[in-house]
Amino acid sequence: MIKCVVWDIDNTLLTGVYLESGADLPGADPGLTRVLRELEGRGILSALASRNPPAAAAYVEQLTGADFAAVECGWGSKADAITRIAAELSLAPDAIAFVDDDMLERAEVAAALPDVLVLTPEEAAQAPAWPEFSPAVITDEGRRRSQLYAERRQRQAAAAEFGGSRDDFLRHAGTQITIATAGPADLPRLHELSVRTHQLNSAGQPVAEADLAGLLASPADAVITVRLADDFGDDGLVGAAITTGNGGSNGPDAGVPAPSMVVTVPLVMMSCRALGRGALDALLAWLCRSGAADGAAELRVPCLVTERNVPMRLALAAAGLRAEPESVAPDGRAIFTRPLTGELPALPDWVIVK
Amino acid sequence: MLAQVTGRPELLDVPVAADTRLFGAGVGLDSLAGTLLLRQVQRRYGVDVAADDLNLDSLETLGTLAAFIAARI
Repeated sequence: MIKCVVWDIDNTLLTGVYLESGADLPGADPGLTRVLRELEGRGILSALASRNPPAAAAYVEQLTGADFAAVECGWGSKADAITRIAAELSLAPDAIAFVDDDMLERAEVAAALPDVLVLTPEEAAQAPAWPEFSPAVITDEGRRRSQLYAERRQRQAAAAEFGGSRDDFLRHAGTQITIATAGPADLPRLHELSVRTHQLNSAGQPVAEADLAGLLASPADAVITVRLADDFGDDGLVGAAITTGNGGSNGPDAGVPAPSMVVTVPLVMMSCRALGRGALDALLAWLCRSGAADGAAELRVPCLVTERNVPMRLALAAAGLRAEPESVAPDGRAIFTRPLTGELPALPDWVIVK
Repeated sequence: MLAQVTGRPELLDVPVAADTRLFGAGVGLDSLAGTLLLRQVQRRYGVDVAADDLNLDSLETLGTLAAFIAARI
């Protein structure tokens, strides 16, 4: 699934060459502008990579009315520009498409970044019809994605200027992390998250809406949602966890807790956009603390061990979870556990539990 | 490298002691900074920490990370 299209400017988004046009600046290509806006409405981001001064990007933004999630205007190679854009947006190369009229540029990028989808402007004009550009579900968070990334750029700029620690900045920015039990209205977004998240996903497999609905109804399971907002903007529902065992809702069977009870977390997932803002740390801390409060002795999180979800493993390690190298679940996942005694991870004061 | 990766220049003042903890208060490594750090370690020393260390125990302190890298260069 393509999450971001990186566009060239000269003879691609613009009908001419920006620097060669003197006073007569070229207009925007109407076909590609339509494609860009259509994709924006589907929650697919756009970025710019161009050998032009930054003013060219501002000009294109103004002409097309688009919100570019990242802009690389400089004189280096397009492959390097795309690599920086991918890092800035926390996206893997295979989630990126690149559009450029110049055959040599396309060849350079294709050779350096084989996972990037390289397109001519003519192919880009057809892209909205392709499955890679057609997400099955478009949620409110999805439709607002371009706006969310614009807010993210402002937040990053403020964070770069800020002098204190990460937590000091989160407090300064008015960060609010809300942890609550999921409701039926959350199902489409939860399903979308299970499909889209890879780097911060313990299971690596999507969960169907019907299965999620089943979990909502089941007294033995709980679905916990995480919402994230701050002074720069509201990201909405950014992550979730499914818990079973003692972590289930307090039904009529919640009597005297047995010290040997275990809270198992079959799935924990978070949008990579929430990286660096404490949301996953807060969720894991809450899972530890609420499990302990319910009388459970251990938290158990089966987790896929792949190259892609290293960020998830880092969060688990930071929360004190460890896996025995021989402990492998039937589905091949390593089982990370931690006792729910002693010092549990801290829950910052900007976390609201509903 | 830590200061660069976390974008916090005040980390340059942290005493480079072997027992300086990376997670938790102090350095406060999170998923984002941790990922960037591992990437830099791979780039600079050619060591893929995540691939060889299931529990990322090597990230316990500056000392354990240095020893992990040194054993693999």
